[in-house]
This record gives sequence, structure tokens and C-alpha cells, in this order.
Amino acid sequence: MNSRTTKLFTTCAAALTVGAFALTSGCDNSSSPSESSAGSTTNAGDEAPPVFSLAWSEYPSWSVFGVAEMKGLINGKEGELGPVEKKWNVDIVLNETDYDTCINMYANGAVDAVCITNMDILNPSMGRTAVAILPTSTSFGADACIVTGIDTIQDLKGKKAYGLEASVSQYTFVRNLEIAGENPADYIFSNMDPAAAAQAMITQQAGYDAIVVWNPFVLETLKQRSDAKVLFDSTKIPGEIIDMVVAAKDSLDKPGGDRFAEAVIDTFYQLNEMLADPETGDETLVALGSKFSSLGLEKMKVVVEQTKFYKTPAEAKALFDSQELHTTMDKVTGFCKDYKIIEKVPAIAYGGSKDEPLTFTSQYIDAVMEAGE
Amino acid sequence: MIRRPIKPGTRITLAIVSVLVLCGIYTLLSVRQHHKNPNDTTIPTWSQIGEGIKKSVTPQPGSGEIILWEDGVATYVRLFEGLFIAVGAALVFGIAMGCYAPVEAVLQTPLSIAAKIPPTAMLAVFFVLVGINQGFFIAMIVFGVTPTLAQAIYQSAKKDVPEELLNKAATLGASQGEQIWNVVFKQVLPRLIESVRLQIGPAMVFLIAAEYVVADVGFGYRLRLEGRKVNFNIVYFYLGLLGASGFLIDYALLTARRKLCPWFGR
Repeated sequence: MNSRTTKLFTTCAAALTVGAFALTSGCDNSSSPSESSAGSTTNAGDEAPPVFSLAWSEYPSWSVFGVAEMKGLINGKEGELGPVEKKWNVDIVLNETDYDTCINMYANGAVDAVCITNMDILNPSMGRTAVAILPTSTSFGADACIVTGIDTIQDLKGKKAYGLEASVSQYTFVRNLEIAGENPADYIFSNMDPAAAAQAMITQQAGYDAIVVWNPFVLETLKQRSDAKVLFDSTKIPGEIIDMVVAAKDSLDKPGGDRFAEAVIDTFYQLNEMLADPETGDETLVALGSKFSSLGLEKMKVVVEQTKFYKTPAEAKALFDSQELHTTMDKVTGFCKDYKIIEKVPAIAYGGSKDEPLTFTSQYIDAVMEAGE
Repeated sequence: MIRRPIKPGTRITLAIVSVLVLCGIYTLLSVRQHHKNPNDTTIPTWSQIGEGIKKSVTPQPGSGEIILWEDGVATYVRLFEGLFIAVGAALVFGIAMGCYAPVEAVLQTPLSIAAKIPPTAMLAVFFVLVGINQGFFIAMIVFGVTPTLAQAIYQSAKKDVPEELLNKAATLGASQGEQIWNVVFKQVLPRLIESVRLQIGPAMVFLIAAEYVVADVGFGYRLRLEGRKVNFNIVYFYLGLLGASGFLIDYALLTARRKLCPWFGR
């Protein structure tokens, strides 16, 4: 009996240990696809281009990458190359997922680059050194406080405004109150998913007189409730909420990392040219909006007004190389610190060695421009 | 070898070992991740998790709120309110169906269809029907759990109650109500408790999903918020608590069943 028990005991322990190894080694393979494939390319000998991954979520200036794949500029699958990828000799793998997952994938090291805002990158950057390589757009009306039966900002006092806490919605809310000379502490911002908040207002639920949401929910709510109106929006804070592509420093340091950044930037500008071209513009815009919302072409034209693209390298450089970006980031980090979204303010560098947690650089945009000439 | 019992001591030791092995695997994953990136916060080390725990249980500067307390109260009040209503409704439906053929004929089809619709897929419908308030969370649990529970009770009321017992009670002069209370309910009770044990998990899934989307306090809310802030030390702590509290609820129900229905077996 006793020996049997011991035998059983060791069998169980062995089984658990084997399971443990299977689990850890399994994760080893899956958690860093780019790393393992980048490694294998050096062994392959047939000079397969290095593989890098970009995580993106559905948003006008980020869906550009999905549409670029649709239009055949790049191929988001591993092992297959589009013309832009061939030009830069790099294999871009596109990972489409929801926004929160994008943030976590970047932080975890599961992807090399991510589409993210200048506010949401602060936390991940303290865990994984981040380099902002490309601004894609800025919110210019795409984040808004929509109200029913409220006429002035003072009327909002004591009423709950619903929006996603610790997000650009709350930032828009607080900054607009500050600009209006109000004390944000007198106002209530209550957490709710933007899709749910918009739906609550559209279905006229009691108590949902004020919501702070982003597009497509801004336009969707205004379309479906004629008595709803915009109390304030991000047009008061142009250039403060920046949508961008951020690459990890450890990925940029890998062989071909620079070319990956440049290929991503090149893709973005090539698609922007298609958008600007009167012949292909409308069709591309519809493609851009197809998964974003049920809003048609006309509304999509408003969407891209409210989400102002940095459509040329010159516009991007004007932002990234400006002194204004420093003040913007001071405001953003100050807000995040005040509202306990970050525990400490990460050091931010503008150009240079990329050793700080977060660096903004136009170096890769320059490289793309030089190559284009 | 099949079904050969082991000593209680061995059983407990094996249980402890399995938990330790799980912790060991986690430590391995964490060490590996921190070897790759020393600043990582997505697979926190034990000391990082310790900081997360400390942050969750100390009063917040300013408001003085203890976030774990706030979240715990919100989530478990919602869970128990939802389960309470769900169990009540399921008992009424299930026993009525098991006892009366017309009720069975009317309810069987809709219940089996409803049991197959995940309430998480109906989030948007609940917004419109119920509105977004405390009722929303409870509706998620009630709609998610009641059909399955009712089906289990109905099956039990039909199959676990021997015909002879009902006849005996009837010949002794019991009214229909007395037969239901003294015979059917007593026979169904252990199955009910067993079914509730199985439904705690799904109920939690529905509640957390609802909190993920609309709550401003609660486990689901905190998990999403801290996940976005990449504070995985709090996320893992909360997940651990969810697991532990689920385990405790399960154990409490098991104990209750053993006490209330000793004839049902272990």
C-alpha cells in the first residue's frame, strides 16, 4: 500500500512537471513569433526577409494598414510579401485585434509595433522602451461630449458624464473643462464603454444626458438622436490627442528593424496618396470605413475631417519636430499623473538615442523621404 | 486499481503539490519574461504582485477608498442578487414542469432554446430591454443561468422522485402542495445545489462580461482598467481572488448539500 502510494505520488508529480514543461515551452514558441522567425531567417540562408509584426485596431488612420493589405500594397501574412515589403526587404505581419489587446500585446512583447495614442503608450513604455515612429492622425472633433437637454457647461455640473475612464475621452473632458475655466473636480466622469454609453443615449435611457465618446459613436449618436448635440469636443485641443505608430526599441535594434519602421511609414503615405487621388479617393475612403461603422461615404468624409490625418511626411515632421509637442506631452503626462493613470511620469525624449522610455523621432520618416527622392 | 481509495493525508498532499506546481510554472514564466525584459509588468514577479496586493487593500490617497473592498462588495452583491432570483425562478419553473405535463409542454421548448443563447451575445439587447443600472447585471445572470438550472430541476423532478413516494403521500392524505413541498422539493434539493455549483462559473462569466462594459466599480471594471494600464500585478491578484472565492462558494454549497441531504451521498 505504502509503496503504491509513493508510486502514485511520483507519477502524478511527473505528469504535472511534464505538463509544466509543455506549457512553458509552448509559450516560448507562441509568445514571440517575430523573434523566432527573425532568428530562423539568419539560418535559412535563402535570405528570407526578417519578420516584424504590427498590431492595429479599427480606427480611421490605423485601418490604413488593413486597407493597404486589401489594396495589395503589403501582405499581412507571414511568409508572403507585397510590393512595399519587397521594396524594403522586410516581412510585415499584421495583427488586427481590439485596442486594449493591442496595448497588452505591445507591453508583453508579443508584437514589434502597435497603433496607439500618445496617452495610452505612457504605461506600456515604462515596461518596454517605446519609439514613436509615425503620427497617423490627431483628434479634431472625433472625441466629443454629447448632451441632451443641457445647454451650457455649467449645466453639466452635478450630472454624470459617461465615458471610458483613463482614456482619451476623460482627457477631452477634463481639458475642455480647464479651458472653459471650470474646476474639473466639480464634474463627474463615470466609467462606461463608449459603445454602451452611445447606445444608452440613443435608446433614451433615464440619466444618460451626457456622454463622452469617440467616433464612430459621436456621429452615430448625433445621427440617431436629433435632440443630441455636441457640448464640446477635441477641436479645442488640436494636436493633443495623437494617434500614432509606436515600435519597441528592442525590435528596432534587431537586424532589419529600421527597414520595418520605414516600410510601415512608406505604406501609410502610399495609402494617403490613394486617398488624396480624386480617382481612387472615394473608393479607398469607403474601404477605410467599411469595418469602422455603418456610416456611409459622406459621413466618412466628416470622420476624416474630425480625425485629421498627418497625410504627408512634412505634416508629420512639423508635429514631431515641434516645440509644441513638448508642451502637449507635459499636459498629457500631467493629466495622467493627476488622474492616477500612471504612477510616475516616464522620461520622454524628442529624437536622440532612444534610451528613454518614450522617444518621438522623425528619423524614419526622413529615411523614407530620402529613399523616395 | 480503478477507484482504489487513497489516504486522506495523501489526498491533501497531492492537492497542495498541484497548487505548488502551478505556482512554480508561473514563476518560471515570470522569470523567463523578466530575463527577456527586466521592466516587464505583463507577467509580474511575486514581489510585483505583492505591490499590487498592497495597492488594492490600502486606502487610496484622497478618497480613502479601498478598491478591493469597493469592487468586492459591488461584484458579490450583484452575483448573489442574480443567483438568488435565478434559483427562485428555476425552482418554480423546474418543479412545475416536472409535476404538470401542460406546463412541461409549454415551457420545455422555449427553455431549451433560451438555454443555448449566451447572454454575453445579447449584451446589446439587454441595454435596450433592461436599461443600464443594477438591474442590468442581475438580468445578465438571471437570463444566463435560469434556463439551464430550470432544465436540471425539471429533469430531476421528473426522474429522481419515485412514483411510489408520491402515491404514498397522496394516500396518506397529502394535498398537491404538500406532495410538492414534502416529496418533490426534498428529492430535488440536492440536484438543485449540485446544479447551482456548476452554474457559479457561467454566472461569473456573464457578470464579469457585463462589468467589463458598463460598470464603474466591480471586478470586471477593475480587470479591464488595470489591464489597459498594464498593471498586471493587480489583474493576477484579482484573478486569484476570483478563483479562491469561487472555490469557497463551491465548497460551502457542497457542505450545505451534505448537511441538508445526507442521504444523497458524498
